[in-house]
Amino acid sequence: MRHPKDMSRRQFLTRAGGAAIAMPSLAAILAACSKPSVAGGDTGSAAGDIPIATPQAPVELPLTQDPIPADTPMESGPVVLYNWADYIYKKDVAEFEDKFGVNVDITTFNNMEEGIAKVSNGQVQPDVFVPTPGYLRRLVENDLVQPLQHELIPNMANVWPVYSDPGPYYDLKWHYTVPYTIYTWGVAYRRDRVSDDELAAQGWDALWNHDYAGEISLYDSYGDTIAITILRDGSLDVNSCDPATITAAKDAILQTINDNQARLTINGVYAKIPAGDYTVAESWSGDIVGAQWYLPKGTTWDVLGYWKPEDGKTMIGNDLLAIPKSSKNPRLAHEFINFFLDEKIGYDNFSNWNGYQPPLTSIDPDTLIQKGLLPKQLSSAVVTEEMFKTDLTPIELVPSCDQIWLDAWTEIKAGA
Amino acid sequence: MDGDQGRGLTLAEIDTPTAPAPPEPEPEPTPERRPRRRKKRASSKEESGVWYPRWYWPSFTVPGTLFLIFMFILPVYVVISVAFGAVDFRNFGAAVPYYAPWWWSFTTFNSTLSKFYSGTHIYLDPLMRTFEYVLAASVICLVLGYAVAYYTARFATKYKGLILILLISPFWISYLMRIYAWQGLLDTNGPINWLLRPIGFGDTNFLAGKSITVIMGLVYGYIPFMILPLFASLDRIQESLLEAGRDLGASGRQTFWRVTVPLSRPAILAGIVIVTLPMFGDYYTNDLLGSTKTSMFGNLITTQREAVQSGGVTATASLVLILSVIVLVPMLYYLRETRRQAEQA
Repeated sequence: MRHPKDMSRRQFLTRAGGAAIAMPSLAAILAACSKPSVAGGDTGSAAGDIPIATPQAPVELPLTQDPIPADTPMESGPVVLYNWADYIYKKDVAEFEDKFGVNVDITTFNNMEEGIAKVSNGQVQPDVFVPTPGYLRRLVENDLVQPLQHELIPNMANVWPVYSDPGPYYDLKWHYTVPYTIYTWGVAYRRDRVSDDELAAQGWDALWNHDYAGEISLYDSYGDTIAITILRDGSLDVNSCDPATITAAKDAILQTINDNQARLTINGVYAKIPAGDYTVAESWSGDIVGAQWYLPKGTTWDVLGYWKPEDGKTMIGNDLLAIPKSSKNPRLAHEFINFFLDEKIGYDNFSNWNGYQPPLTSIDPDTLIQKGLLPKQLSSAVVTEEMFKTDLTPIELVPSCDQIWLDAWTEIKAGA
Repeated sequence: MDGDQGRGLTLAEIDTPTAPAPPEPEPEPTPERRPRRRKKRASSKEESGVWYPRWYWPSFTVPGTLFLIFMFILPVYVVISVAFGAVDFRNFGAAVPYYAPWWWSFTTFNSTLSKFYSGTHIYLDPLMRTFEYVLAASVICLVLGYAVAYYTARFATKYKGLILILLISPFWISYLMRIYAWQGLLDTNGPINWLLRPIGFGDTNFLAGKSITVIMGLVYGYIPFMILPLFASLDRIQESLLEAGRDLGASGRQTFWRVTVPLSRPAILAGIVIVTLPMFGDYYTNDLLGSTKTSMFGNLITTQREAVQSGGVTATASLVLILSVIVLVPMLYYLRETRRQAEQA
């Protein structure tokens, strides 16, 4: 006879199952109860303390692993591209698909924060990602991107030499990134309402001119709009952490919102300037070039104008191509990057779709105008290698400084 | 007036418009001895003649309870833990929730809260604006919605179904699409300005942060939620009660105010709650039709949400908690009212 204390098999299984469920959750609960440690402050990192890169103090990012071997076999795809919406010409992507016999899935993010968040928590596992330089340091620190195998990207030779030798300030020797596009900040305007000379005389102040009340647009993005307001106020410190400077910028932005009904938009330039809703707008150079495809019937591109400050006072930014560590097709990812640095493809992507220029040596304003791809007055929207070397650029702000910017922006957005 | 008619509707009944449940059978009196409650609860044999184990009926609450725990209580607790937690700047400002209450830090929450009343109190304006807009939009929804529901219930006869379908049909198109359509309509060069021009109101820049535009957008977005409960209630008012009112000498208007409106009162309350609560958290209506000058509470939340890398996530969670407390007020009022009415009935 069985001893009453013996467990039947069924009882045993039930209890074991219960314990199996209970133990991990117990562990999780206990873990949750202990205070998570956070490396406090503005600095500190896992992959060594990588300093914030500035044009004055360029940084060579440490290698977190070796690049893939150059003879890595081709994978079967599909290649996942994680990009801004409408930021690549589908026809060129299709050409890549044909050439390599794989599919390309394009997934999009609405802002950089969303893109970074989904890459870092693995929700999206792209093969090619399009970050901005301000995030690169932390992408490397968190071990989220992999070094590039330079042998697989021979088309880097088509790119401005400054990007490979010595490499851009944020990624010396281009260990992790190649540039995708480059652009400046300026004022887009309707030439049928404001003459070129009139606008040039005002510069940034056009965005504060009461004559254009109700027809002024600023970008709904704190980094951009506060930075151009600092320029407008006469300072060149576009990464200022001085509370007084930021407060002055905030007051100025509020003033043009309240007195001139300036609006914060994202499509203000490429959609609303062609439609005639706005007369002047804060603009990325790529937006005004792309605006030509949004012109209503019967309106020529002569109405589109772009002003940017003189050399040395212009702000320049660029977007990058990088391969996340989670990439399942690293070889194809390299091929994809190489493909879009091809002169013909890069040029097609820019001139027939994107409006945002790749920093290819073969692209210069005169050729574009000659070929009828750019109206003469928009030559100011083309960026040159010299500008990249000398002009201002937004860099990553330390959290305490970023907080000052954000507080100012919150006040603007709250409708003070 | 007595019986079920006067009790009217509660939210739950509107969601499932079935016949009211039959009254529960009275427990049999056992005059001889003290009722043996344990035994009675243990089985329902005596009442229905069918025996159920003790856990049978309570077990029906399991799905609902589990749903509440996993879809409501736990998420709310996570929000609280995020609000009172920390931020990992190294990891792009990701939230580091503190689940254990003894670790909670109230720094961010307090500084968020203080922006409502101290210093330049930058959050106060959006809060007051939210109250104004929600109040105005709810009243307009009620007045317009009542008229439509009343007409549909009482006079539409054979077109009733058609009208209801038409009322619901806009929901086949995404709200975002419809609001984009409004952008075109309200444009300075748009058709609405064209219509207003002869009366001297032309060239109004409706989209430059005008309160009226945002209120209009809210009304447009939420009015169907007001009409449907009102219709359900008005449609169920028995004709005989109205006839009785007239027979007893009340005029048509008096009958409306003294019979129809009181009978539909619970539906009015339900409708107001249904439209008010989401309006408090609405942000896209203002994003698309307003400007920063018409920022509402929801816009404060999105602004913080977009600033994740600088630690916006704890501030976001704090604002969500504050908003939850604010919307508790109308919700509690609604619960109190419905209970009071149930007691009166």
